[in-house]
Amino acid sequence: MSKKEITITIDGVECRTWEGEYLLNAARANGIFIPAICYLTRCSPTLACRICLVEADGKRVYSCNAKAKEGMNVVTQSEEILEERRAIMEVYDVNHPLQCGVCDQHGECELQNYTLELGVDSQHFAVPDTMREVKEWSTVLHYDAGLCIVCERCVTVCKDMIGDSALKTGPRGGPAVDKAYKETAPKDAYAMWNKLQKSIIVPSNGTEHTNCSDCGECTAVCPVGALTERDFVYKANPWELKEIPATCAHCSSGCHLYYETRFTSIDNHDEMIFRVKNEWNFQSLCGAGRFGYDYENRDVTKDEKAFAKAVEALKKAKTVRFSSMITNEEALMLQRLKEERGVRLVNPEVRPFQRFLAAYAKAAGRSLYGSDYKAIMQESDFVVSVGAALRNDNPNARYAFNNVQKMNKGAGLYFHPVGDTLVPTFGKSVECIAHKPGQEETALYLVLDLFADRENLPEYIKTYLDGFHETRKRTIKERVMKEVVEKVLDKESGEENEVKKKVPEMVEKEVEYDHNLLVEALGGDPVAFADSFEKMMKKKSSFALIVGEDLYGHPRWENLAKLVALAEKHCGMKLAMIPPKSNALGVALICDLDDSAEGYTVGYNQPGDFRLSALGEGDLDMPAMNQQEGTMSTMNKRVVPTNAALEYGGYELNDLMNALGLGKRLSVDWTAELPVDKGFQAVEFDDLSDGFLNDGTEVRGYALTAFKSRPSAAKVAAASEEAVLEGEIAYRCNPQRQFNDFTDKAHQIFEAFALYASPEKAEALGERVEVVFEKGSLLLDVVADERMQGEIVEIPDFKADRDVYGLFGESRYANVTIKKV
Amino acid sequence: MDGYIIATVIKAVLVLSIIAALAGFGTYLERKVLAFMQRRLGPMHVGPYGLLQLAADGIKLFTKEDFIPSGANRLIFMIAPMITAATAFIALAAVPLLPEFKLFGVTVKPIISDLDIGILFVLGMMAAGLYGPLLAGMAQNNKWGLLGAARTAAVFLSYEVVTGLSILAPIMIVGSLSLIDFNNYQAGGMGEWLIWKQPLAFVLFLIAGFAETNRTPFDLIENESEIIAGYATEYSGMRWGMFFIGEYANMITIGFLASLVFLGGFNDWGFLPGGLAIILKVSFFFFFMLWVRASWPHIRPDQLMWLCWKVLMPLAVINVTITGFVMMV
Amino acid sequence: MSLEQFKNRNVGTQNYTMLDLGERPKTGWDRFKQVARRSVKLELFTGLKVTFREMIKALFMGEMHTIKYPFEKLPISPRYRAIHEMKRLLESGHYRCIGCGLCEKICIADCIRMDTRYDENQRKEVSEYTINFGRCIFCGYCAEVCPELAIVHGGRYENASEQRASFALFEDMLTPLDQLNQQQEFPGFGAVSPDADKKIKKTPLAY
Ligand code: SF4
Ligand code: SF4
Ligand code: SF4
Ligand code: SF4
Ligand code: SF4
Ligand code: FES
Repeated sequence: MSKKEITITIDGVECRTWEGEYLLNAARANGIFIPAICYLTRCSPTLACRICLVEADGKRVYSCNAKAKEGMNVVTQSEEILEERRAIMEVYDVNHPLQCGVCDQHGECELQNYTLELGVDSQHFAVPDTMREVKEWSTVLHYDAGLCIVCERCVTVCKDMIGDSALKTGPRGGPAVDKAYKETAPKDAYAMWNKLQKSIIVPSNGTEHTNCSDCGECTAVCPVGALTERDFVYKANPWELKEIPATCAHCSSGCHLYYETRFTSIDNHDEMIFRVKNEWNFQSLCGAGRFGYDYENRDVTKDEKAFAKAVEALKKAKTVRFSSMITNEEALMLQRLKEERGVRLVNPEVRPFQRFLAAYAKAAGRSLYGSDYKAIMQESDFVVSVGAALRNDNPNARYAFNNVQKMNKGAGLYFHPVGDTLVPTFGKSVECIAHKPGQEETALYLVLDLFADRENLPEYIKTYLDGFHETRKRTIKERVMKEVVEKVLDKESGEENEVKKKVPEMVEKEVEYDHNLLVEALGGDPVAFADSFEKMMKKKSSFALIVGEDLYGHPRWENLAKLVALAEKHCGMKLAMIPPKSNALGVALICDLDDSAEGYTVGYNQPGDFRLSALGEGDLDMPAMNQQEGTMSTMNKRVVPTNAALEYGGYELNDLMNALGLGKRLSVDWTAELPVDKGFQAVEFDDLSDGFLNDGTEVRGYALTAFKSRPSAAKVAAASEEAVLEGEIAYRCNPQRQFNDFTDKAHQIFEAFALYASPEKAEALGERVEVVFEKGSLLLDVVADERMQGEIVEIPDFKADRDVYGLFGESRYANVTIKKV
Repeated sequence: MDGYIIATVIKAVLVLSIIAALAGFGTYLERKVLAFMQRRLGPMHVGPYGLLQLAADGIKLFTKEDFIPSGANRLIFMIAPMITAATAFIALAAVPLLPEFKLFGVTVKPIISDLDIGILFVLGMMAAGLYGPLLAGMAQNNKWGLLGAARTAAVFLSYEVVTGLSILAPIMIVGSLSLIDFNNYQAGGMGEWLIWKQPLAFVLFLIAGFAETNRTPFDLIENESEIIAGYATEYSGMRWGMFFIGEYANMITIGFLASLVFLGGFNDWGFLPGGLAIILKVSFFFFFMLWVRASWPHIRPDQLMWLCWKVLMPLAVINVTITGFVMMV
Repeated sequence: MSLEQFKNRNVGTQNYTMLDLGERPKTGWDRFKQVARRSVKLELFTGLKVTFREMIKALFMGEMHTIKYPFEKLPISPRYRAIHEMKRLLESGHYRCIGCGLCEKICIADCIRMDTRYDENQRKEVSEYTINFGRCIFCGYCAEVCPELAIVHGGRYENASEQRASFALFEDMLTPLDQLNQQQEFPGFGAVSPDADKKIKKTPLAY
């Protein structure tokens, strides 16, 4: 989808924009204000509020929905438009409870703002009020229908961005708008009112509860106080809260967010995070980011004895084992430790990814994958995902996948062994292929087969792929119109007349078709697949490939990396990888990781002989990520800054480095030293910018540089079946909203460390089981996940001390024996 | 001779203690009178009608820290208040306080020392009192104190002239410098009072008396709205207290002088016995001083000088001249 | 002066009498004449007369001004801004404060703090509320901003204390429930203006 730059005039100002861009976005990008309530950037226009009314070339249009054309002349304000907008705001104010004083949106409420902005100082409309009840939709959602203005932003974001489609409009009950207003009220206001008066928001599954991903994005977008986080209800006023821009540290998306802090209470004056906010027009959070904020290491003081012991421990350490929830700076410190003192660096989360990335870089001749999720979201109309549990692994990869279906009329192919009921609902053209674990090579070959430009493929691959195509015959049923002659008794004459009629009839017919053995090997039905794939490919021009963690730890990772590089090159696909954990990309780029630990081990948020821990239960306390400043590397290949939201009174890694004679004055003094040869830039922390521009451009930190090299000429091996697993299989995968010990510590995230299985499987397993691996076993409760399908069970890894990585080994799949207990 | 010494010592001690007590009581009276004139109650809470306020203030003054500023001349700073107090009491030595009376068959002269030049001695002593504020102001190393000292010198010296000239006329008439002689001169009842013969001298004397005792409207040497507390700025505790005892003793002295010289002294006044009469007269003067304080504002230093040299002094000279003429004729 | 007059802070409307001070003397001769005239008229004694008269009035005619605080106290003006009170709703006895936090926000001395929560009746409950009177400057902004007429200034103006910080809690300021019938509307700073009704635009009702 190439864009054409055009010029339009808005209120006499010449503006550059793209052809087909919505007028509202064009105006915003050029710093022109048009009131708008229901529109969300990155989502489809709802046309619920109608307040964004403007005049384009003399016609009244809704700017959130009207597309820019070359030379268009837009007027955002006229007597008539202002009249209409004021009437709309009056309508919104009809029966709106006068409770700003207690409302949680008070001070940042768009209803308040626009009511004042548009100068509403009297009310001309009235309708009897309807009792609308307060509902607690889930453990985190609090809906006060009385305050809802039915802008449907929550519905839209949940559908177009999050993908859960957990909300819809429902009937409000109560009287209709008096017809007499048709005469007096402006047209749009009247139409909008009629719709408003009929609806409220309800969970779309028909129950009282949403049963969704609990991401809380709907609470963020709600312009009024109708939809709020349950925990925040009536706790603090928005204006008291201090916004601290930061980067979410839970997964590799590295979302931009604001921690909002205030003193805890009257008797405790320490700062506390009350909630998390985000720039929802440009960045959507997941439940872990939004609700997993209170993981700070509290009440820590400088414990000199522990510090001295830690220094001793580091001096004699042979290995440092660490999690990837650390900043780039800390990773660099550890790397320095390795360089200077020869310790081994062990990070089981990142090691496979690092290897894979290196293998990819070698094969592709580029040090980083070619695209990112933002580009995919904006430009692609066909996304393929291989080796990622899309729903659980990375929320933003999933949002991108979903958003492409909704916004770009896209299609999607989802290859994953664990069946998922949510992914197919993302769009009509989403095809899920539940292959066997270990078949990822075949899946990638299928991708090559389906999308590659055959002409340019290396000869041996072309031949290899051709080997999977057979021309077969099959019988199909076809409807044909047949002429039949019927005898009809004429009642009057008593004669039988012959009448000719056309009747449809199914006839069997033998046709030739192309039987794709790759699809068959992956467990799909080649015929049906070919059919639907043909439909999916209609009007598609921009393809994307998302690859996930399953590939990195796959026994044949090296070949997979080559295949991925090949697919990127020959299918013209935008390629984006999902780094497995928080700052996995940063760690992969900065640290030389070793495969295994040896000797005396210092664990940083990981098990070890001496434990540095930000969780508050180690041998020396460390600051948690919301108490640190530094940078993170996101999966969008940016290096972004994060700031300390809360006080921390103890020692940091940099202090330990100082004690070893390797430190700097501040942790952030390391920022400018991040390795330039790995794509980082020598920029001081304080010089990093943060945030988004009006048009959505991300100006957080800087983009990592990808270095080109000469692609290696090594051949790709054929798909092998050696890694395919059969029998009872466990998959290392966290429940949604849980990523690590820190999300687990947060008081609003409850997902248990348990065995997750599809409802049928869970029923078969009973309540509690022992899962026996080759190297050990785990005792776990069984939790049914309604969105899972099939026989494979999921075992989380978010608790470091359970050493799930040790049990699974490098691969995410393992053959296990599950015993009931 | 011994008896004389003993009697004198007894009298001195008596006068000292009584007048000192009265001076203290004077502060109480002053506060009360000023309060009443402003329709306030004044001290009320210590003792009945606040009478024990005196004791409370005394305790306070005695127990307050006695500090001396670092740059001060310690010796002079310490003795200056004593000069004020001492001169005030010494002046009283030549003042006959009451008529003679008999106690246990002994005739008591309620005067410590009946000097021939009594009036000169009193005036001289009061003039010497100027060293108190002057030295105090100069010794304390404080600009306000210095200003106070300067004003002291100016005011006291100037008004000394007026006092002297105003009282010269009565002296010419009486022909003696002994206060007893003044008293006796007016023994013939109210008609004989010198005030009738010398009204102008009386007024001048009174005005000068206000200046000599540092009372409103002439209390410029410690005018707090201009120079903090003037010569007393750095003083506290009992040292500060001594300045005030001196001031109040002076007020009493001036009261006695005015009564003795112009208002018939301690001669019987109608049915009033002489002792009571003089007490009433002195009380009146005392009250008058408070009354004036409650009623009139301060004047400016330049006005004070103007008044002294351009109005009062010429008037006094004229008065003396006229008196002289009248006596010669 | 009666209390009524005392309460009247409307400075512009009081009756002032201008003194006739006459012409200032210009020449020395004029000045001399003025002195002479004043001396002859014994103007100084007018002053003495006035003070003496006041003394007589005070002593014998019962016109003593002094209020023997703390045994006697003057009623203070209702517009005086003394220690705060928290009012209750007369009908239900529930506290009026809705926990909106405006007072906390506006407080110039930053001495108000409050904790609120979502209670069982789906209302915002003020779980704790404090004013640090050691910092309060009694500016009255909190009473002025309160949309519920909940926080007002009461008449308690004696706030000497042994320490700088002296906190009042919600219960300390709330009207005790058993004195609810004695609770009076606050006429002072921040009260509804007498013409409030006139300023409101009517909203149509559909019942
Ligand atoms: S939603 Fe907005 S207008 Fe409505 S009560 Fe809350 S703050 Fe006020
Ligand atoms: S809950 Fe909020 S976002 Fe949803 S429709 Fe109502 S007002 Fe809009
Ligand atoms: S919490 Fe997230 S998934 Fe649930 S309804 Fe809201 S937006 Fe949708
Ligand atoms: S009176 Fe002023 S300073 Fe005191 S609490 Fe109210 S707003 Fe704050
Ligand atoms: S302004 Fe009034 S209602 Fe609001 S919190 Fe303060 S006292 Fe309560
Ligand atoms: S923003 Fe365009 S209709 Fe609501």
